[in-house]
Amino acid sequence: MLDLAWANLTHHKLRTALCALAVGIGIMLMLVSRGLATGSIAEVDQRMQSVDAELVILPAQDNIIFTSGAPFRAGHERYLRAAADADGPLAADVIPVFFGQVRMGGQQQRLFGVDPRQMAAFLGARRVRAGRLFGGGDYPSAGVSPPPQPPPDRGGSPGTLPQPLPGREEGYKGGLELVIDERLQRVGDYHLGDPVQIMGQTFHIVGVVEAGVAGRVFAPLATLREIVVAGEPHASMYFVKLRPGLDPVKAADTLAAGLGGDVRVELKSDYGRLLRESFASVNLYMSASSGVALVACFLFILLTMYTNVIQRTREIGILKALGVGRLGLVRLAVSEALLISLAGVAIGIGLAVAAKWGLASVRPLLTVDISTGPILAAVAVGVIGGTCSALYPGYRAARLDPALALSHE
Amino acid sequence: MSHEPIIEVRDLHHAYTHAGVVEPVLRGLNLEVRRGEFVVIMGPSGCGKTTLLNVLGLMVRPTRARTVRLAGRETLGLPDAARTRLRRDLLGFVFQRFNLLPTVDVRANVALPLRLARTTVDGQVDGLLTRVGLMEYARKKPGQLSTGQQQRAALARALVTRPALLLADEPTGNLDSANATAVLDLLGEFHRRWGQTVVMITHNEHLTVSADRVLHMQDGRFLD
Repeated sequence: MLDLAWANLTHHKLRTALCALAVGIGIMLMLVSRGLATGSIAEVDQRMQSVDAELVILPAQDNIIFTSGAPFRAGHERYLRAAADADGPLAADVIPVFFGQVRMGGQQQRLFGVDPRQMAAFLGARRVRAGRLFGGGDYPSAGVSPPPQPPPDRGGSPGTLPQPLPGREEGYKGGLELVIDERLQRVGDYHLGDPVQIMGQTFHIVGVVEAGVAGRVFAPLATLREIVVAGEPHASMYFVKLRPGLDPVKAADTLAAGLGGDVRVELKSDYGRLLRESFASVNLYMSASSGVALVACFLFILLTMYTNVIQRTREIGILKALGVGRLGLVRLAVSEALLISLAGVAIGIGLAVAAKWGLASVRPLLTVDISTGPILAAVAVGVIGGTCSALYPGYRAARLDPALALSHE
Repeated sequence: MSHEPIIEVRDLHHAYTHAGVVEPVLRGLNLEVRRGEFVVIMGPSGCGKTTLLNVLGLMVRPTRARTVRLAGRETLGLPDAARTRLRRDLLGFVFQRFNLLPTVDVRANVALPLRLARTTVDGQVDGLLTRVGLMEYARKKPGQLSTGQQQRAALARALVTRPALLLADEPTGNLDSANATAVLDLLGEFHRRWGQTVVMITHNEHLTVSADRVLHMQDGRFLD
């Protein structure tokens, strides 16, 4: 039956090609939208996991993806540092992060305001690729960076020292400096000393670190606090590195109880799950969109197969006269639809890979994950969709009266 | 020729209904054909010849009949699947309009009944194609053949499983006299060689020479 199905399909090459292309576009949509969602989430999660801490403290109500502002006050940090059991404080270190926004590399980036002394927690084993870590202001070196150096003089304003706000002659104690990761540096073709405008202030890039750190852009915590909240010790979130030997789950429960209901304490290892939960509705929307597109594609197959049955009524009569049963005719229709679907899946995978490359050149910071799992899912969708779309036409073919079919003009 | 009947039809009635109007086509027809017999059925258009062949070919369920037995098996109450199997295993068809599958080549057309019967194709197809003079056209699609060649291919397809009963509905109706003679010669040759029962409908008196028996139909009954 398969070779007969193949012969039928190759007999109508253009129609078959259009059908397979329609399925391919649907599969491509599915793969790219899912790949974008999972790839971005996985990439952010991977970066967050690189922070040397076990717990994440977040505002209870905020969507983890869109967490902004600085809802935490000094009291929260004090509590986190002071919380203790019989053996001493629970936290070996509390790492506040103050989120801002900056447009770099052609898209909006989350700006991580961090204490320069705590950059080691973000870097881990990663290295400084160029320049240095934060060196301005009154913070001592974090001990993992090369000795602070002024940005190289590239002529003009880049490389000049941070500019104070009007009326603040003492300048920013944290310095108007940025450290970026090498992926952003590559994408935006940034150089040490390049100026970047953030909230009306000119920052300069002073260092480039290996990719994979939690943020793509770091600024001194104190500077962001000064600009945004007049230096108040507010924070957007905290990482908490626990005292060695502590059970993170128990410690999280203890801290959550102490911080109250407007704060949630999560295991850092759960960050990916939280991201996925936050992304669920967007994911649902994308899945629904690609699902609708796929349904439309398979309706296209159904229509084509149905048209085939009408056009090939006489051939169906011949097959019936030769002894092909109802099941055989349904099988023939399903085989044809499956061949179209599988060709469509192959085209879809090809288009998705091409789309991934295309996106990488237009939006290099986006991560599209087209791995084995989604590809197998696409094959499954193709098989199921193809089978379903052939059932009704196959049923119609099976129900045809052989004598009437043979007399069909 | 055996005395054992391969076709036994008693009191066969069939009617078509168009827009609520019932038009009787077969009116209490009786027929018995013995194994190995070559029977030609003649009659004017609309007398019910093709309907009778469709009933014998298990493609039409008669409106009413006392019996329609093929190879000793009553077919009246058979479910569709069993009728399909019987059609595949017992019958061969040759149509006026050839009815070859246009999407596959001649060899695949001829091999199709063997594949449906899950029989190995081996040399039978090539042997038949050689005999009907189409070996060199085996890779051609039916649309690339002349009408005579197409009918010879259709004949090869009908005979490839050596069916016990061959039903031919005006097999020469679309052919010129030379091709008609060639097809009829082949039909007669295979009938003699394999002892198949042949029931053939024709309008052409000249084609009755190979027949053991010629039956004339009119108004849904045999005249004889």
